[in-house]
Amino acid sequence: MFEQYVKDYNEAIIETDKEAAIAVVEEAISNGVTPEEVVFKIVMPAVEDMMQLVIDNLDTNLAQHFMTAQIAAEITEKMLAQFSAPPEIIGKAVIGSSFGDLHSLGKRIVMGCLKSMMVDVIDLGVNITAVDFVDAAVEHDAQVIAVSSMMMHTATGEEGSLQIRELLHERGLEKKIKLIVGGSPFRYDKELYTSVGADNWAPDGISAAKIICQLIHEVKAS
Amino acid sequence: MIKNYNLTLRTSEQSLEITIPDDLSVRLALDIAGIRVRAACGGIGTCGACTIQTISGEFSPQTLAEWQKIPEQDREKNNRLACQLYLQSDAEVFLANPAPKSNWKSLDLSDWSDYPYPPYNIDKTIYAVAVDLGTTHIRLSLWNRQQNKRIASRHGNNPQAALGEDVLTRLDVHQQRDQELESLMQIIRSAIIEGVRDILQRDMGEIKSILAKVGLVSIVGNTAMLALLSGKDGSQLYDPTNWEKPIDCTADDMDEWQSQWQMPNANIVVQAPLAGFIGSDLLAGLMAIDICSSTKPVLLADFGTNTEIALWDGKQIWLSSVAGGPAFEGVGLVNGLTSEYGAIRAVQKTAHGFTLDVIGEGEAKGFCASGFVDAIALLREENIIKLSGRFADDDHRAQGYYFAENHRAAILKPADIDAFQRAKAATASAMQLLLQLANIPLSSLSKLWVCGAFGQHLNIKNAQTVGLLPTIEYEHIELFGNAALSGCEKMLLNPENEQLNKKLRDTLQVVNVSHHSEYDDLFINQLRLKPFVEDANV
Repeated sequence: MFEQYVKDYNEAIIETDKEAAIAVVEEAISNGVTPEEVVFKIVMPAVEDMMQLVIDNLDTNLAQHFMTAQIAAEITEKMLAQFSAPPEIIGKAVIGSSFGDLHSLGKRIVMGCLKSMMVDVIDLGVNITAVDFVDAAVEHDAQVIAVSSMMMHTATGEEGSLQIRELLHERGLEKKIKLIVGGSPFRYDKELYTSVGADNWAPDGISAAKIICQLIHEVKAS
Repeated sequence: MIKNYNLTLRTSEQSLEITIPDDLSVRLALDIAGIRVRAACGGIGTCGACTIQTISGEFSPQTLAEWQKIPEQDREKNNRLACQLYLQSDAEVFLANPAPKSNWKSLDLSDWSDYPYPPYNIDKTIYAVAVDLGTTHIRLSLWNRQQNKRIASRHGNNPQAALGEDVLTRLDVHQQRDQELESLMQIIRSAIIEGVRDILQRDMGEIKSILAKVGLVSIVGNTAMLALLSGKDGSQLYDPTNWEKPIDCTADDMDEWQSQWQMPNANIVVQAPLAGFIGSDLLAGLMAIDICSSTKPVLLADFGTNTEIALWDGKQIWLSSVAGGPAFEGVGLVNGLTSEYGAIRAVQKTAHGFTLDVIGEGEAKGFCASGFVDAIALLREENIIKLSGRFADDDHRAQGYYFAENHRAAILKPADIDAFQRAKAATASAMQLLLQLANIPLSSLSKLWVCGAFGQHLNIKNAQTVGLLPTIEYEHIELFGNAALSGCEKMLLNPENEQLNKKLRDTLQVVNVSHHSEYDDLFINQLRLKPFVEDANV
């Protein structure tokens, strides 16, 4: 029975059919599956499958990434409200678009996946200054700052990631807070992330979530 | 009563079938079709260059000009002047000596009505030029203001398009390398004047003397192109604080510009863009449809690399612009073309499968945007593509869908569908956002105008199937391909242009979608290939 839910849910996800995905989950719940099981055994593995798919085939459909992440986030949020005990959060990240950049959608994929992976993610919005990124990370006790840049000049600009790195350094936060960048400019030059002072980067929103989890573990382990 | 006839044109290299009305000369019909006769007068039979041989069919009687210009032995071989020649039945002609291939073609403006403006009372600078400067195309027309008459129109490719895949890429180029600015500016300016000279050469027979009598050039376009044209620093577009306000596009080198164009008396007006990503081409489009005259809500969408949306709610105009990506210009897709020879402009489903309507009737070289929309919609209807945008079949996922057997130029690839989904979702969700902000239900729209080259051949039913256009009554949707040029012509000719221009600008409410968090949800919801209906599950 449970296997069938997993199968049906995955089918709904790959078809980006939110109604069908919700219907599967509702049926599972009404037949005694716990909200915890839904998140950890259905939703999360599906996101991880999607990550593997993206890694295996870089051409997977971007429209689909948006929809998958959105469905995962929505269902996780619904289920979290029904958890018997507050879920164990693996860590926190603040995310935003870099200064001068108004592109908001890329980070949506990251946020959706992170939520379903039990990472508390705080969305700062678009056009965020370096100071605001760092202040927010400190305020929320976040392990990761994630910066999305869709244009070359916002990816490499003085007031973007470079300045965040400077601030982390000045305030002695480099061990406590890791910096990850993403967005189209980084895909063209795979070494670009190092020149903007980032600790890591991701070629797409779905693998970004995975790398953010890794960075959180690194910070917590140190 | 106008009759339409089929004309078969042959040259030594190619043949072409076109349908032309009996009141359009063969020369003008061929100017639109793009295989042009030689010409050096305005089609009045004085240059004799447009000789063409009739093979079969019935034609208008020979004119005096033809008696004078065609030697007797040529007349006996059924040679005629294309500018004097009209069809009276289906016919075939042979063109031994076509004009050299050109970037420029005439626009088909045959269904445009005249503008109701009085002729200008001027003696010297009687000519004026309207220009719509697009990212991939340039459209322009030359006017005699004394007679309130359009002498001719042209459209051609914008040669700067070769330098980067979309406006932002080009601005990136431009921001990174300063010397690019000057060269981009020159490329665009040269292209425009080349189009004007093409008209002068072919439709007036003289160039320099007419250029000196041009008193006004009005140029509309998207913000990036106008910034490049006027030699402005494109980086101001990048600054988010400039997103919602007009960008200065006044050229600093007007004297030099006038002398480059050999138009010493011309006032060259670059119509100021409305905002960072909303060009004056949209303003022109709003003028073309006279949007504020409607008592009921009107929506306008101008599809392109940047798709601009305007909503008139009866009191003000809500405006926004979203990235269409290159999907709506045809470029940037695996088999993407602009509306050019060899482009699949439409796909139909018949009993024998899919048939392709190719511009110029030759072999398909790729899809232009309208054909691309048809292709996706038809595959969706057949469930070959699912709502998610994925191909149902593994083979199609791996190789794409062949619309013609073994014909690589007619493949639709998964990546193309993905690009389309994002472009259409961006547009549909921007429409949805404006409708929500203005509190206008879809059902109360009295009109939806679809502008841009994209609109000209768009199959509305197919566009609605995939949710590119909202599902509203068919008769409320109007396609207006050259709206920006029409609006620009109005700016040129309307004596009350200045007041009207100001009035329109004063009623604008620019909306930056990235400041509306609900936009992202609308966008994600519109990604599926489903119709765009009122309760789109917001």
